[in-house]
Amino acid sequence: MIRYYWTRYLAIYPTTLLYMLQDSEYKLGQYFAWFNRTSDFRHVMKRRNLDITPKIKLLRIGLWSLWTIAELAVAVCIYIGFVNQSSLWGLIAIFIVLLMPYLMAYGIIVPLFIGRVLIQLPREKAIIKEAHEIFAAHPATRIAVVGSFGKTTAKEILATVLSEGLNVAATPGNMNTPIGISRFARKLSGKEDVLVIEFGEGKPGDVKELSQLSQPTMGIITGINESHLESFKSLESTISTIFELVDYVGKNATVYKNKENDILADLVSPKDTFGYSHTGVNGWQVSDLETDLHGTTFTIKKDKTVIHAHTKLIGLHTVGVTVAAVSIAHDLGLSVQQIEASLKKIQPFEHRMDPRQLHGAWVIDDTYNGNSDGVKAGLALLKNTKAKRRIYVTPGLVEQGNKTEQVHIKVGEQAAKSADVVVLMKNSVTDYIMNGLKNAGFKGQLIIIDDPLEFYTNLEHFVAAGDVVLMQNDWTDNYV
Amino acid sequence: MKKTVAVFFGGRSTEHDISIITALSSIIKPLELTKEYNIVPIYITKTGKWVSDANLTDIKIYRSGKINDLAAKSKPLSVSFDGGFAINKKRIDIAFPAMHGPYGEDGSLMGLLRMAGIPFVGSDMDASVIAMDKVLAKQVAQANNIPTSAFYAFSKLQFTDSPSATIKAITSKLKYPIFVKPAHLGSSIGITKVKNNDELSNAIEVAAYYDNKIIVEEAVENLIEVTVPIIGNDILTPALVERPLSKDDGVFDFDTKYINGGGKKGGAKTTGAQGYSELPAKLPGDLYKKSLAVAEATYRAIGAGGIARVDLLIDSKSSTVYFNEINPLPGSLYNHNWRASGISSIELVRKLIAFAEQRFAQQQKQETTFDSNFLQQF
Repeated sequence: MIRYYWTRYLAIYPTTLLYMLQDSEYKLGQYFAWFNRTSDFRHVMKRRNLDITPKIKLLRIGLWSLWTIAELAVAVCIYIGFVNQSSLWGLIAIFIVLLMPYLMAYGIIVPLFIGRVLIQLPREKAIIKEAHEIFAAHPATRIAVVGSFGKTTAKEILATVLSEGLNVAATPGNMNTPIGISRFARKLSGKEDVLVIEFGEGKPGDVKELSQLSQPTMGIITGINESHLESFKSLESTISTIFELVDYVGKNATVYKNKENDILADLVSPKDTFGYSHTGVNGWQVSDLETDLHGTTFTIKKDKTVIHAHTKLIGLHTVGVTVAAVSIAHDLGLSVQQIEASLKKIQPFEHRMDPRQLHGAWVIDDTYNGNSDGVKAGLALLKNTKAKRRIYVTPGLVEQGNKTEQVHIKVGEQAAKSADVVVLMKNSVTDYIMNGLKNAGFKGQLIIIDDPLEFYTNLEHFVAAGDVVLMQNDWTDNYV
Repeated sequence: MKKTVAVFFGGRSTEHDISIITALSSIIKPLELTKEYNIVPIYITKTGKWVSDANLTDIKIYRSGKINDLAAKSKPLSVSFDGGFAINKKRIDIAFPAMHGPYGEDGSLMGLLRMAGIPFVGSDMDASVIAMDKVLAKQVAQANNIPTSAFYAFSKLQFTDSPSATIKAITSKLKYPIFVKPAHLGSSIGITKVKNNDELSNAIEVAAYYDNKIIVEEAVENLIEVTVPIIGNDILTPALVERPLSKDDGVFDFDTKYINGGGKKGGAKTTGAQGYSELPAKLPGDLYKKSLAVAEATYRAIGAGGIARVDLLIDSKSSTVYFNEINPLPGSLYNHNWRASGISSIELVRKLIAFAEQRFAQQQKQETTFDSNFLQQF
């Protein structure tokens, strides 16, 4: 750390601090953990540049004010020392100069706190209150999408299918917090037939809060796993938080649940007709299932109704949630023709099992996938895909709490059975994955990459025709 | 310990700029990504000055023209052959020539590297000399029963001294249309397709501007032009047979290859360093296999090693495959074709280095001394 202490005096340092705050989504625990483990501040901003938002502009003023105050203090100390001919004041000046980087790093939370208390929180409270009233008055069917993973995919599938015959609004991007959902509510016309609302959860009570805000009438639970375990502390806590949705809508309400997820499989009663999997749901039976890198085709039957489904989504794990969406669409009155037409419109979502060709090789971009169930689904697909070389690229997963080692050993074991080449982005979990590879007797090629960005930007040099590359997860700068 | 690879590029050649692209994008970058080698870039200016600097791997300095300042300011390189090959006192383990055309691809550099006693990528000196002389290459091919189109070769001096006699000799031996080419240049520079006597003299002057030796070749009828990159020393691995999509005049010229990046409309195309092409070539009957066979036979006849690209001309009616040219260092190593064949850029440079080391090891086993009492008897 001492070797690079001088980098805290570079002109880029204040911008780097703001970047760390922004990249940590202003979560102080993450910000300080990152700050304390960083020694060289020259190369922190690797993946993007600082986004100059009004908040960042205010914080920048705060940061420069701190710097100016510290500089003035140094000048005053030198002046007093000079007038009094005292070396003590000189030592104090040196001490302030040495401490200045820390004063800035820690002092920045003062304007952040003031801004949050005086500006942000009152404004957000008003928006959320207004949104609550909008939802209460809205006549639409409200479907909440909740789970540790796969929410965005489920939301997009639902919105695409239902939009064929209904007026549907869905929360955009990752706007799944109270303020994000409230901002979504403000944009509603009131004439929508269906609202598809993604719930984000990071701590106990979150789903309950979002349920009370958006007042869902039905829901989908996409799965439960170790994601965000660092904040939930235990899987039991995650489970009870996600089931806050069931508590809200009531046991008689329709809540589809992903039976292919190990944890949910144990929780869903065999009698629960809304437990979905690639074999079907709610009386719908799947047959003639085929999936490859060009898409997935299957037939769904219920009584005398037959639906021929073809989507551009890849992987067996996409079938269950698609069938759940079909079931909902049928119950809401969409015709077979409308459902079939809507399924054809479903495209892979950006960075989520998103296949593309690169010089004759297939590259499956799954870099937004950061959970163990996604790893399992991706590696199953890789294993069953014909290829000259199956290449698996991952940095591992984040926020796995006390399960970090266990989860990554399993990742290594699964990768050993599915890939010919494993490329690991070097970080704190690399050794665990390597242990997993070793446990499973991996005999393929193992490549450890020090600079992930260099690898990603030069991928074309690593691949050739016949290769299938699965790129899962990508750690943002605050995790590296 | 990492081996040090010196990559030579630039040079006193009309293909100087192409060499920079070959070196930076197809050799140095993949070598860097292997993390297995220390790389020493050796840039040779258009005037022949040797420069070595870490900044030479950045394409921006060539685009901006800053390379001229860098070259002007750099001190002359010290090259040592004492106890191995060293440049600026840095020992070089392997040389990777990335030079096209004269003073690099034509055997000159290979001769220097042979003297230095280090392994180097690509063909050895003798094969490079033959390959880069279109006349010699055709003569070697003919001697090995590999078909070539009819041709006539002459020197610049011969044409200057007696232009009418030269033209008469050409027209008596060959039928129009014909191609007039400088004998030693690649990348289609200085090539003209000639359809009558009026155009011939001018075409020869163009070729003579670039070279002292000129070759005139009879055009192949019902032409399909294909090219086959090959790697290996004793065991050869061909890439895909590729069909460049040339302009209507039948000349796959420099602009089509490197500047315009396009050919005719329609058909399955792929972009590579050399513009648009059909990859793999869709050839009727057994012409695909035949092309591979002729290409491999030529590669062996010339004595090429490491890598080369063999250009072929096919008469689709008679199903005759003619050898046209062999290029001992194809631009960008033709890595677009290798990738399509299942060999990544990184694998390709690794293999080429392995071939260089393999040939060098074989050469080391050969006896180079002979004890005699000749001096005592003198």
